[in-house]
Amino acid sequence: MISMTVQKILNGDRRTAARLIRDIDDGIPGTREILKAIHRHTGKAYVIGITGSPGVGKSTLVDQMIHGLRRSGKTVGVLAIDPTSPFSGGAILGDRIRMQRHSLDDGVFIRSLATRGQFGGLTQSTRSAIDVLDAMGKDYIIVETVGVGQDEVDIARSADTTVIVVVPGMGDHIQAIKAGIFEVGDIFVINKSDRPDAEKTLHDLRALFDIARKKLTGEGWEPPILMAEAASNRGIAELLDEIEKHRKSRKTLSHETVIHRKQAVARDELIDMIKCRLFQEALDHITSSPEFKIYLDCVTEGTKDPYSACDELLSAKLCFIGDEVNRKPDLQEYLVAQK
Amino acid sequence: MKRETDYGYEIKPVYTPEDIADLDYTKDVGDPGAYPYVRGYHPNGYRNRVWTRRMTAGIGSSKRTNEVLKRYREMGQTQGILVICDRPNAMPIDADHPMGRREAGVLGWHGASLLEFEELMDGIPLTGQSITLLGSSAMSCMRLAYVVALAEKRGMDFREVHGSVTEYPFCSTCGQTDHMPLDLLIKLWMDSSEFIVRNKIHMRSGILSQHFQESGGNNAQALAMEIAQLKELLGLLVNERGLDFDDLSLLPYELVSVGSRFFEEIAKVRALRRMYAKMAKETFKAKTDKACQLLISVHTSGRTMTYQQPLNNIARCAIQTLAGAIAGCTAIDNACLDNAHAEPSAFAARMSLNTQHIVSDETGVTDVTDPLAGSYFVEYLTSRIEEEAYKILKQIEDQGGMTAAVKKGYIHNMMEESARKRQKEIESGERLVVGVNELAIPPEEDDEIPIESVVASDSEEIAERMENWKRKRNIPLLKEAIARVYDDAKKGRNFNLMPSIIEAVKAYGTAGEITGVIRMANGYHYDPLEMIECPFAL
Amino acid sequence: MNNGRKIKVLVSVIGLDGHFTGAQIVSRFLMDAGMEVVYLGIYQTPEMIVRAAIDESVDVIGISSHASNYGQIGLLIDLMKKNDLVDVPLICGGTIPKGEAEALIKRGVSKIFPPQSTSESIIEYIVSCARG
Repeated sequence: MISMTVQKILNGDRRTAARLIRDIDDGIPGTREILKAIHRHTGKAYVIGITGSPGVGKSTLVDQMIHGLRRSGKTVGVLAIDPTSPFSGGAILGDRIRMQRHSLDDGVFIRSLATRGQFGGLTQSTRSAIDVLDAMGKDYIIVETVGVGQDEVDIARSADTTVIVVVPGMGDHIQAIKAGIFEVGDIFVINKSDRPDAEKTLHDLRALFDIARKKLTGEGWEPPILMAEAASNRGIAELLDEIEKHRKSRKTLSHETVIHRKQAVARDELIDMIKCRLFQEALDHITSSPEFKIYLDCVTEGTKDPYSACDELLSAKLCFIGDEVNRKPDLQEYLVAQK
Repeated sequence: MKRETDYGYEIKPVYTPEDIADLDYTKDVGDPGAYPYVRGYHPNGYRNRVWTRRMTAGIGSSKRTNEVLKRYREMGQTQGILVICDRPNAMPIDADHPMGRREAGVLGWHGASLLEFEELMDGIPLTGQSITLLGSSAMSCMRLAYVVALAEKRGMDFREVHGSVTEYPFCSTCGQTDHMPLDLLIKLWMDSSEFIVRNKIHMRSGILSQHFQESGGNNAQALAMEIAQLKELLGLLVNERGLDFDDLSLLPYELVSVGSRFFEEIAKVRALRRMYAKMAKETFKAKTDKACQLLISVHTSGRTMTYQQPLNNIARCAIQTLAGAIAGCTAIDNACLDNAHAEPSAFAARMSLNTQHIVSDETGVTDVTDPLAGSYFVEYLTSRIEEEAYKILKQIEDQGGMTAAVKKGYIHNMMEESARKRQKEIESGERLVVGVNELAIPPEEDDEIPIESVVASDSEEIAERMENWKRKRNIPLLKEAIARVYDDAKKGRNFNLMPSIIEAVKAYGTAGEITGVIRMANGYHYDPLEMIECPFAL
Repeated sequence: MNNGRKIKVLVSVIGLDGHFTGAQIVSRFLMDAGMEVVYLGIYQTPEMIVRAAIDESVDVIGISSHASNYGQIGLLIDLMKKNDLVDVPLICGGTIPKGEAEALIKRGVSKIFPPQSTSESIIEYIVSCARG
């Protein structure tokens, strides 16, 4: 069964891939085994991250990039991420609208994802979805982030080239580009450059670069700043050229640098994966236990403060956490006594 | 039940002289025919001329729409015709486009070439009644060219034709099927408008709030939108095309959507006249009286026509028509009782046209001008909605004006927010709609009404006819005319394309072809849907 | 067919219909009900809708139709069958005359919501479909 699914994905079967991404996103058991099996077929695709604040025209830019890449005969996978509503848990995934003209192109696979995750940043399922598209054999995978907070930095770790999109007239917003994000950008695009303040934005960006560049030494790559009007397909060819140049520049890096980077990325990803799994399993383990219910009642009734409840629960349920003070030799007995 | 206007103003149980204490009759209201025209433009009101009572037509082939127009004429509609275009035409794409094939003639008239217009107008006079063609902005230049070309063919001066065949560039923001980029729409609208004004043609250009309101906007928003649009568009003609504002006075007309909030609808139209007059005088320094007067037509609201118990819509239509008549307008077209089901059937169309005649001929509404003036409530509401509209107008201007507000999504968000609020109010029972959340009946007991059916094969027939006909045209002549449109379209925003479009229309160039090469010259794909390639070597 | 999964719905306007307000209002209240909505917007052909439904692996397709182009909905349902999307219910809302609605149901459309349907009734129906 697993081998059949894997084979279908390797053959580029969109229905199977789509279903798998859905199952991964929904946390369906069994998907992990498939991910394990396809992992050795990944690493061939070139991953481009597109990030920038909401409203800067990322989707339109991606649409034009697909167009450009398809013209040079490359196959493209797209992951477009939209935020999950913190109130309802629902989401409107609307990035696809701008890319629908490619929907009937067999060389293009577009998938919308909601952030869902509670940590912020790029979710584990997005990383796995990149693997799936990679295994499908897509030449390029473009990941469009929400553009808020941690996911902007995260994408740089998963992407080979990270493109940061800004628009003119945001003046202070440029200043607000957090240093961290500024450092991860490989290419900067000033979109909607027909707007009056484009030159000023370029100037501001350059000034910021002068300060930030000191930190970006020894890489041999100076992030270019490009002007674009994605809506009328201006500046897209230049962007694709720069991405190609960046790709080549990565090849000229020394063996040590490459190994060092690979290690750093692998370490981050592994830690994230552990974090994600650990969190979910530990949480499930604790919240599904009868003790959790009892502690909850105690806190609600006011017979126990939440701090002690947390410490005692963790010590009891996760043997490597806590100290002897909080660990009760017979928890059940102890709890009855507490009540 | 909510006792507040649709824009959220809480209504008091009674209004007294105190509510309009600061209203100065001469300065703020004035007699009919006097600035600021709250009470209308003619001292004698409808005694001079009753509003044009007309129905929308447009379905199937041009021949079929022609038959409908003739039928309306027999029903007593002789003051003017109103034809709406189909969706492929609004894009614009031709009927033989893969997407056009499926919907040509479905929701209106497929006016994609001069041939179609000739068939539409066969046996129908171009003069002596107003000619109104609606449906999209991108087609404005084309439709104007049809009128010029057909008038010439009939050996008459096109300046004698009156009506409106051009439309404002913002309609695609409000759910209209217009797929041209906004900047190009604005350019083409300026071209057609400049042509009309410079040639002194008696043609109006629709700058409408109706689409906005029918898509969900409330009364105050619609009013603000209308003024914002007029300010922006007329300003462009003055600033970019060097036209004199007083010469522009005969250009714009507004189609206002009138719903069932009787007093509010009347207040809205009265306020609109005042706001326009003030804008003309204060912003544009209008010198003539005429230049302070905005031509206003009424469309009774299709959005209020319910699917459930459609015969109830006759009552709604009558109330709205009466509101439109009392408010004062030049023309009314009604939404029909079957609006939520299909295109108007002959039965529904007759019903609506008769409703207008019942209102004009039986109620006495045409005897007295602006009969509600002086009502504490109506005068107060007029000032109140104006005040609210100015607030919204300021917000639009803070965005950088209408075009900027559209591009930033501001207008669209405002409309959607308002539509959602209304949906919630109905679901919670705060607003009652008979047959929907009050006095509802089981679906199986619902009224049976005749349905004007759409036949899928009609679209295919229109498409096939066009495909064959296209090959039979004078191809060298056509190619030359199309090439000229293309070349001219590269000459910049303020180079008027009307002359070359007229020549291309006379050479039987189609909507898809002519607007296609204009798109290309401006760096866009020939086909708005990017499914077909340009058939001309340019 | 759906156990503890998040419900994913595709919402689109079909053909050359430009009336998007209805579809947007529906998308919004489905989101507020905790669903993930892939919103396609306007000018979508049956072919594009089917492809998006496959690529996005959705549970339900919702089409908002305003006036007269229900012929396209017929094409969509045929295409869904051809593409093995029989387990994905197709629901429609908007101005569809009774007779046409009956014909579409016969052809395979799961449910048609007339104008003025409540958000509650639509949400309930989608939940019942998805939870099967």
